[in-house]
Amino acid sequence: MALQETIPWIEKYRPRSLSQIINQEAIVNSLKTILSTHSVPHMLFTGPPGVGKTATAHAFANDLYGVRYIEDGHFLEINASDERGIDVIREKVKGFARTIPIGGLGFKILLLDEADQLTSDAQHAFRRVMEQFSATCRFILAANYANRIIEPIQSRCAVFRFKPIELEQMKLAIERIARQEGLEVDEKAMEALYEVTEGDLRRCINLLQTASTYGKKIDADRVYQVAGLAWGGEVRRLLELAVAGKLENVRKQLRTILYVNGASERDLVSQMYRDLLYLSIPEKKKLELVSLLGEVDFRISQGANPELQIMMFLTNLYSASQVGK
Amino acid sequence: MVSRNLSIPWTEKYRPRRVSEVIGNEEAKKQFEAWIRGWERGSPEAKAALLAGPPGTGKTSLVLAYASEHGYEVVELNASDERSSERLKTIVGESARQSTLSGTRKRIIMLDEVDGIAGREAVGGVATISSIIKSTKTPIVMIANDPWDPRLAPLRENALMIKFNKLKQREILAHLKKIIASEGVSVDEKLLAEIVRRAEGDMRSAINDVQILCSTAGVDLLGSLELRDRKKTAFEVLSEIFGATSAVAGRNAVQGADMEVGDIMIWVGDNILNQIHSPQAIADAFKLLADADLHYSRVRRLQRWELLRYVSPLLGAGPGVMKQVYGEKGERFEFPSTFRFFQQTRHQRTLVQSVLERVASRCKMSRVKVANEMLPFLAEMFRRGERGLASYFGLTDEEVRAVIELAGAQPSAAAPQAQAPAHKRRTTPSRQTRGVRRPPSP
Repeated sequence: MALQETIPWIEKYRPRSLSQIINQEAIVNSLKTILSTHSVPHMLFTGPPGVGKTATAHAFANDLYGVRYIEDGHFLEINASDERGIDVIREKVKGFARTIPIGGLGFKILLLDEADQLTSDAQHAFRRVMEQFSATCRFILAANYANRIIEPIQSRCAVFRFKPIELEQMKLAIERIARQEGLEVDEKAMEALYEVTEGDLRRCINLLQTASTYGKKIDADRVYQVAGLAWGGEVRRLLELAVAGKLENVRKQLRTILYVNGASERDLVSQMYRDLLYLSIPEKKKLELVSLLGEVDFRISQGANPELQIMMFLTNLYSASQVGK
Repeated sequence: MVSRNLSIPWTEKYRPRRVSEVIGNEEAKKQFEAWIRGWERGSPEAKAALLAGPPGTGKTSLVLAYASEHGYEVVELNASDERSSERLKTIVGESARQSTLSGTRKRIIMLDEVDGIAGREAVGGVATISSIIKSTKTPIVMIANDPWDPRLAPLRENALMIKFNKLKQREILAHLKKIIASEGVSVDEKLLAEIVRRAEGDMRSAINDVQILCSTAGVDLLGSLELRDRKKTAFEVLSEIFGATSAVAGRNAVQGADMEVGDIMIWVGDNILNQIHSPQAIADAFKLLADADLHYSRVRRLQRWELLRYVSPLLGAGPGVMKQVYGEKGERFEFPSTFRFFQQTRHQRTLVQSVLERVASRCKMSRVKVANEMLPFLAEMFRRGERGLASYFGLTDEEVRAVIELAGAQPSAAAPQAQAPAHKRRTTPSRQTRGVRRPPSP
């Protein structure tokens, strides 16, 4: 007998239609106008993580083509950070945009998620792909930062800037889920959720679901406890091991994060930065390490070996923390 | 830089040419030969055979070996490729027109990865293939890892199932030794035993591991074997590098090594901690090594080969000079922990990757995003016994365990920052915090 399935809440509570998108009234209104005219431009959605960029693209396609927008071949999502280079993406776009589906609107929609993960060379190549297929395909690009998207692409797109989720909006979302799931989430817990997720709704919902496995009552302590379990906890431990001089363990932990978890080195470095500021080492040394970490970050972005560069930083952290001992 | 020729995978180079050379699974070999002889006599027991068993147990090798020994042409089709069923029809059609099998071109059709088609409903699916099997005049061999996949039932009905088991450790060990001998290299016995153990009955992965080991200049790890045209071992290169006290000596050590620069970096980086012990010396040695890596990354990325000259002294002399400056005494050189790490975690990495893929496609996120944002929460929910999610994503128990194990590397959930003290408001908000509770500012 099959086990009862639990749907991840980020799926269960994913907005299906534009009218269910929260916090982005202006954008939703513009998109609804576009829907009514059926004249769809290329679009660029920018904004911080978890504010609804991908969800809005799907909801838009749903409202435009109907619930079978994916199955009927009107909509394809490509994630730039999962593809091995622009050639693979180009082939996928080609395969998708070559035909026009019967009963459609004469064009399809292709969502390129995390478009800012493409290098600028790749973006230029992608721009040509956009031009080549613009007769049969409209492109929606989603990115965290508009300024990481090259000008020529920006100028071909209607740019929609998604606002960070506001506290009141997040509370409404939490309350709705709490009602459905029979949870008691107190005021302080909601504020804590907002604080630790900084308005990232996806993260908030994941956290809420994890917290709910401890019990129906969710208070601020529970929120902080569960938040501490995320990889952030692992990264902080990495720094603590380095300060303690357990360098073989440091190396093993570093490799586990990089190679087993499949986490991105850039995210690891930025998390290290946030934790570094709060480490208890002499402030002068700390500032030198901030600069060193900046160098490591840049080197990695330029193709240096992440393990070696981060290991270099961590051994320097160890050495710095020995001063005055 | 001369690099060892890696272009022919040893798994291909040493693929058996005769059935007798196929290792292990004697029963399966007999069954297969009996089945194909049935075809040759014109009265096969079944039109198709389904060779089923774990990866690296010799399924493909057996077919290829039989074919090469008895003059068959093998038409390989990958069942998970959509175009296969079309080609399959064409080939079966062609063969039907040739009146007998005794013609000049005897063929075996080999359909690999039939478990890969099980999910697809349309043309090329299980139904199409089983109808082709019924009419074929050419032997069809299907290969699968999991023969009991319920969706493969129609194929099982029309095929003779031949089961392959994991290979025994001694079978793998003996074969590896043969390969090593014909390559004229030597590999530490303990290391070899470890490779065999980790392979878990998978010959292919064992051979791959040994090849990697040898290609990274891990040749003659004991430094005891004499080879004709003997090259410097990695250990000799290491001792030159950690012994170098001048830029020139270091540069010469790197340039005289028969190893790729990237490999030297791994060997050096993984040995710094047993050669150098004071915090400042370790930090300085890693700084120089990281600088070498920086220049090397420019060489590779910008194809600026002339920049390679800056790599050699930094890489070759950095560790030795630091060792001398800080008066450090080294211990024994060790085989790089990098290679062992990858061997030890191979299974777990595969499992985690497959979890990432499944979750990514269902939650419309990239794999990296899933790794960063979803996995920690999934791990915690799995640990708390929430298995309904696993079944939603279609994860196996093994995959669930692999995810939980990841979480096991963190401070335990039982020792959380339980109380929410007054400083819980962050003093410096930053946009992308993942919500880690911060330690109090000093």
